[in-house]
Amino acid sequence: MKELLDQVIKEAGRIIVGKEQTLRLALTCMLANGHLLIEDLPGVGKTTLAHTLAKLIGLQYQRIQFTSDLLPADIIGVSVYHRGDETFQFHQGPIFTQLLLADEINRATPKAQSALLEAMEERQVTTDGKTRALPQPFFVIATQNPAHQIGTFPLPESQLDRFLMRLHIGYPDEAAERTLLSGEDRRHLLEQMDPCLTIEQLKQLQQQVPRIHVADALLDYIQDLLKFSRTSPRFNHGLSPRAGLALINSARAWALQAGHHEVLPEDVQAVLAATVGHRLHSSGDTGIDEGSSLAQFLLQSVPLP
Amino acid sequence: MNSANQIKPAVLYHLTLVTALVVAPHFQRLDLRITLAFLAVLFLRWMTLYFAQWKTGRLLLFAVTIISAVLIFTVYPLLMGLEAKIALLSLMLGLKLMECRRRRDLMVVLLLGYFTLITHFLFDQEILLVGYVFIMVIALTGLMIEASRSTHTTGFRLNSLRYAASLVVQSLPIMLVLFFLFPRSSGPLWNLGVDNSTGQTGLSDNITPGSISNLIRSRAVAFRVDFDQDAPPPRQRYWRGPVLWHTDGNRWTRTTALQAKQITYQSLSPPVSYQVTLEPSPNNWLYALDLPEILPPEATLLPDFQITAKDIRNRRHRYSMTSRLEYHTGPLSRRERQLGLQVPDNITPRMRDLVSQWRSESTSDRELVNHALRFFRTELFYYTLTPPLMGENPSDQFLFESRRGFCEHYATSFTSLMRVAGIPSRVVTGYQGGELNPLGNYLIVRQSDAHAWSEVWLEESGWTRVDPTAAVAPERIEQSFDFDLEENNILGIPVIFSTADSSLLKQFAKQFRLGIDAANASWHRWVLGYSKEQQQKLLQHLGLGALSALKLALAMILATAVLIPLLLFLLRLGSQIKPDPVVRDYQRFCKQLDRKGINRFPYEGPLDFARRVVRKRPDLKQPVNAITQHYIKLRYGKADGPQLRKAFHQLVRQFRA
Repeated sequence: MKELLDQVIKEAGRIIVGKEQTLRLALTCMLANGHLLIEDLPGVGKTTLAHTLAKLIGLQYQRIQFTSDLLPADIIGVSVYHRGDETFQFHQGPIFTQLLLADEINRATPKAQSALLEAMEERQVTTDGKTRALPQPFFVIATQNPAHQIGTFPLPESQLDRFLMRLHIGYPDEAAERTLLSGEDRRHLLEQMDPCLTIEQLKQLQQQVPRIHVADALLDYIQDLLKFSRTSPRFNHGLSPRAGLALINSARAWALQAGHHEVLPEDVQAVLAATVGHRLHSSGDTGIDEGSSLAQFLLQSVPLP
Repeated sequence: MNSANQIKPAVLYHLTLVTALVVAPHFQRLDLRITLAFLAVLFLRWMTLYFAQWKTGRLLLFAVTIISAVLIFTVYPLLMGLEAKIALLSLMLGLKLMECRRRRDLMVVLLLGYFTLITHFLFDQEILLVGYVFIMVIALTGLMIEASRSTHTTGFRLNSLRYAASLVVQSLPIMLVLFFLFPRSSGPLWNLGVDNSTGQTGLSDNITPGSISNLIRSRAVAFRVDFDQDAPPPRQRYWRGPVLWHTDGNRWTRTTALQAKQITYQSLSPPVSYQVTLEPSPNNWLYALDLPEILPPEATLLPDFQITAKDIRNRRHRYSMTSRLEYHTGPLSRRERQLGLQVPDNITPRMRDLVSQWRSESTSDRELVNHALRFFRTELFYYTLTPPLMGENPSDQFLFESRRGFCEHYATSFTSLMRVAGIPSRVVTGYQGGELNPLGNYLIVRQSDAHAWSEVWLEESGWTRVDPTAAVAPERIEQSFDFDLEENNILGIPVIFSTADSSLLKQFAKQFRLGIDAANASWHRWVLGYSKEQQQKLLQHLGLGALSALKLALAMILATAVLIPLLLFLLRLGSQIKPDPVVRDYQRFCKQLDRKGINRFPYEGPLDFARRVVRKRPDLKQPVNAITQHYIKLRYGKADGPQLRKAFHQLVRQFRA
């Protein structure tokens, strides 16, 4: 299994150069059946990352470009009156797909955002009194621009919580950038790429995640982390139990892709920044997002039990 | 508002209750109006909490403050005395609670609460109060902990109280150091202008008929006695106080006319030793069993065997004493005879007739005394707590008309008659009897045990105690003086003594009372009685010798400075769960590497660490990886078993960095 996943990472690495850790985290998020939020400046490869993952796993893929005039119906779909048989027929929106890329999610109004986020949570859509299930598997990869940019509606904390992980991509290093600049067109490369993983295999992997053993010593460690976040004056508020669950699920998925038979503290630490970064706020909230440095502080403050 | 600054409503509810309880012991001292105002403020606070829409506006607060200020200045116009200050403190505490919005206000209220608790000790240092204050300290600390918790936890958690209790218990060693080493002043610690003498009753240095029967209505403790051996029987428990010689026919007073002389007497029984803990009284005399032999150093024995002492007024005093219960006081001095025969002007003819009748029927002074006692026994005399009011000539009226009286009536009339008969005599006041507390094995002597008796001088036995009350009401002497005031409040009725087996509830209540008294007595003896002398004695036992107050304070600071890290260390040691042998082995492995300069970060996982070690010391790759693999399996994996543990242990033992 590990070989298979390593293969996925290796293939993806050809497109997203020099970002192995980010790719692994993104894959981990999919294994844990969670939604992913990618936050970074425009042009660092957010969309490409989402596209690559869809292609490699052979998922049905849709993209919605969020704008400030986007309406919920544009996401979910709309019922249209059919003249022939005199009925309303539901026209599915782009959300009926296996992997949805919600691009620049924070540029849409809260109304449109919440339509998407509800669907993410419930994995179903209700319109005209009828509930329609979304396809399985269903992932949302949302991208957003940093909050301080003009014309954004930042996601509220409650909705940030719906995302299992939040990733930053960051600028590539020099060597990676060189490859990128000298290499082929990414779009072209992407089109040529064949899936490395079938949907069936993905489902199997997802089923294996909860079976990864978590020892008491590790639960102690996770509880210590949560407790520290709740008692340290550095944080405005502590991590919720849901954050704890997210942490343990991500750590399990990470352990799976790292080929561990059991969850190790390293697995928890590897996913910690991505999993809790968007759920933490410093006590003297300055408005600047400090999630990653807070997660780093949390990690280094809690000794292993 | 920042969430870190908000107070949970549950905390405020509990704080209101705790504040009421913290101030509660002051209610008995404060003016009723102040108490009611304080409770009203708390009630208002409670209402504003209960009905969230009622905001405590500035106007309301201002109005309440003005009303409180006016009230305080009405009740205590000059703000003089401790009571006024306590009233001010209580009301301000209540007002601060009312404006408690932010966490900072809450802290102010809590700290004021602690301060208010201390003020209780200005008035009272009984053990029950100490227990109460302890509970309140725990409650306040619990609230402080609860308030500091994240606002996301709701409700009041007992957890906080448990935590607070453990904090208080953990601070006990420091408390003990401060208790033993804090420099003491030679006076009582709380003698800071506290009105100590108010409300204290006790014997005075003169009696008029009726003065003791008023005193005995008080159940207050006069003193407690610890005997070195078994306590003497009740009929020998005469605690000698002021001796009264001079009378004007109504009032009996002490005399200063006796010259100091070498006081000796012949003792006829083995010595009895005991320690007396005297409750604060405005007087300067000590009580001892008839007759005192060995006195404490601060005391002086007067020629009439009364004991006075310096510097004992208005404070609790403890002293050791030895007495002889049977004695012969030897010959009578001329001055004593003169004083002992002083007769008031108001002796009536019928009194003289009575005495001359006895004289004619008896051959010796002793026989005459017996005649007199027989007179009291056989004639219809009543022993009553509520004697009728006496007129111009109380002795005559008592002997021939009312015949209802208390001990002082009997003692003074008897002494007068003896003087008429030419037998030198005097009145002795003091206490008689006392209640033996089986729980602490000591004697409680109360104000209700106050008594007066006579002493006559007889050729063959010297000064001899004669108690005419015993002739009338032997129960008074033989039993503990236990009576029910409710049953004895009708004018002139004979005393109804409580029977031994009253209702079970009464028995139980008595038992409880004795238990509390025993605890209090030990408390006074060991804690409140820990004086400068005792402190120096303790230091000498420790080989430190006498220390000045400054050195003592330094020693205290030093001891605390040593104690706190030690306590922290012990607490940490105690809280650590005994580590799993696997963890211990792994720590050993880490220590080995630490010595070689490869230090594991506390948060570093085993794999990361192993990777780092191998990067620095490639030669160790094989053993480090083996140990790490085993450790991971044992600690985080499903696999566990003695086999694997043994292999791991073996690997760690063989590991040499």
